Amino acid sequence: MEYLLQSILNGILAGCIYALFAMGLTLIYGVLNFVNFAHGELIMWGAYFLYLLMEKPIGLPLFLAFIPALLFTTILGLGTDHFIFRPLRQANRLTLLIASLGLSFLLRNGAQFFWGAEIRTYGFEIRRGMRFWGVSITSNQVAIIIVSVVCVALLYLLFYKSRLGKSMRAVSDSLELSRVVGINSKKTIRFTWVIASILAGLGGILLALDTNLQPGMGLINLVKAFAATLLGGVGNLWGALLGGMVIGLVENLGVLVISPGYKDAIAFGIMILMLLLRPMVLLGSKE
Amino acid sequence: MKKTIHIMLISLSIIALSISFVNAQDTYRIGAAFALSGSIAVYGEGFKKAVDLAVEEINAAGGIKGKKIEIVYEDNKSTPKDCVTAVRKLITVDKVPVIFGPAASSNFMAAAPVAQESKVVMISAEGAAPALTQAGEYIFRVFPSDVLQGKGVSDLCISLGYKEVPVMYVNNDWGLGLKNVLVENFKKAGGKITDEIPYDEKKTDYRTELIRATKGNPKAVVNLTYLNEGAVMFKQSYEMGIKTQWIAGSAAKGPKLIELAGKAVEGIIGTYPVVSQETKEYKAFKAAWKKKYGEDKIPIFGEYNYDMVYITAKAIEKGGYTSDGIRKSLFEVAKGYRGVTGDKTFDQDRGVGAEYGVWTIKDGQIVDYKK
Repeated sequence: MEYLLQSILNGILAGCIYALFAMGLTLIYGVLNFVNFAHGELIMWGAYFLYLLMEKPIGLPLFLAFIPALLFTTILGLGTDHFIFRPLRQANRLTLLIASLGLSFLLRNGAQFFWGAEIRTYGFEIRRGMRFWGVSITSNQVAIIIVSVVCVALLYLLFYKSRLGKSMRAVSDSLELSRVVGINSKKTIRFTWVIASILAGLGGILLALDTNLQPGMGLINLVKAFAATLLGGVGNLWGALLGGMVIGLVENLGVLVISPGYKDAIAFGIMILMLLLRPMVLLGSKE
Repeated sequence: MKKTIHIMLISLSIIALSISFVNAQDTYRIGAAFALSGSIAVYGEGFKKAVDLAVEEINAAGGIKGKKIEIVYEDNKSTPKDCVTAVRKLITVDKVPVIFGPAASSNFMAAAPVAQESKVVMISAEGAAPALTQAGEYIFRVFPSDVLQGKGVSDLCISLGYKEVPVMYVNNDWGLGLKNVLVENFKKAGGKITDEIPYDEKKTDYRTELIRATKGNPKAVVNLTYLNEGAVMFKQSYEMGIKTQWIAGSAAKGPKLIELAGKAVEGIIGTYPVVSQETKEYKAFKAAWKKKYGEDKIPIFGEYNYDMVYITAKAIEKGGYTSDGIRKSLFEVAKGYRGVTGDKTFDQDRGVGAEYGVWTIKDGQIVDYKK
């Protein structure tokens, strides 16, 4: 029983990480209509920015380094938009897709250039998790769950209850028409990048706190996040959360029955199934 | 001018050939396709020194039944292509029945089929690739294969009294090969593998794999892992409060593991291949080396090359100076033979076993394990 409960918790944790990543993906997709493959690298850079600030020679404590790290991630996100995606605003989706793939390589190799390919940690002492009903959970993991839920709630409020959210949705519907009705599309898009970058930075930092830092950390989880996005319906925030949870749980519980060698196959199996069935199974979407 | 040089060269080689034919009457000649130039020539030099030392000793002690050994060195230029050329030359021109093969598994394996086809014995003193001797029955190695680690880990489990263990391994050629050897040996020794858990490289989250491996609270879990994956896993298992004895191979042995996983790796036990420097054979070898070359530092794999010469000399003595004689008697003379690098008994794949040391982590340091 403990065994099952612990697996469920692991599934929820993995799901939260996938969901955090999926929300950023879905946001950019929703507003700018392309899949940003470099989102995983934004995640990774978020974690490495924190590492940079906490290591020598800067050596800030976590609570001081946290906000500047998110700020740097945001600047990086805005920078990628300004220098790469903005000039391609009118280009077709395939061009954007290839550009984001190229950017993903560039950012990943960039991190590898500065920090090398080896695994790093923030250097916190490892602690035993707290135990409830035979299930162990660490404080980092509690933080992951809380942050994910809070992020979804805040994003929901922003998206559906604020003026800015309304303009984001308008730009998402049609860039030209939103301009016609007087929405400042430039400002809206910039704001979208800010939120997506903060989400990426948060996700990356939480993931790295819970596990380790490595240049490939964004990429391997992004593919799962991508599956979550598809499962939950592209552009749908609650769908991203739900999709992430479903994939996290299914792959972690599945491992108990089939060989863990096939762990990834479960997530990708779901993804392919969704692509085939297409009509946004879980929550449905406008498409 | 050019013509004169050609003629001179040709006549020189004829003279050289006839001299070697004369020599062939009173020496046993062994081919050596070594890397004397090219990218791995730095190693080749050391191998040659080790071979020369052994030859000198054997000849000084009266050679083989009164006849001296002579090594015919052929430069393999460190490339697979030139390895083939060198081996072919040794077989067709020098007509040696036995060849000391090139270093680097890929170079050796390129030339092995040539020796096999010509029914000439070829021996490797450096190749670690599991498939090294697959070319056929004329190909031998005195260097242990990588996958033998699997046996080392199995022996370790048994010696620690763990008869039922689950095994986790990296899901690639290396991990799978190692796991198969481990399972085979463990079963033979009366142990039982309770579960097999393959996992992918470079993941950040191994919690569920760990839970599955420690289902039923096994006393020990074998984890055939690398440094990075090991660090992530041991850390996560510590956080989840898993209490079991982790058993690992040599790939996880490194200070980086401690740097990444801190106290979570405290008490892990693992194996690593060793050549004991405490045996009388090793001490004698080291003293002889110092006497001949005036230096303490033995070049990498020098010990294996040294053993290779002795085993080959014994095989020639026992089976006669023919490739089939050597091939057959290699098994007999090597059986139970204790060289500088330990027991050199050939297995059915014409490879040798390895001896393993045991490491553990104590107070944040990698140390030799003592019960």
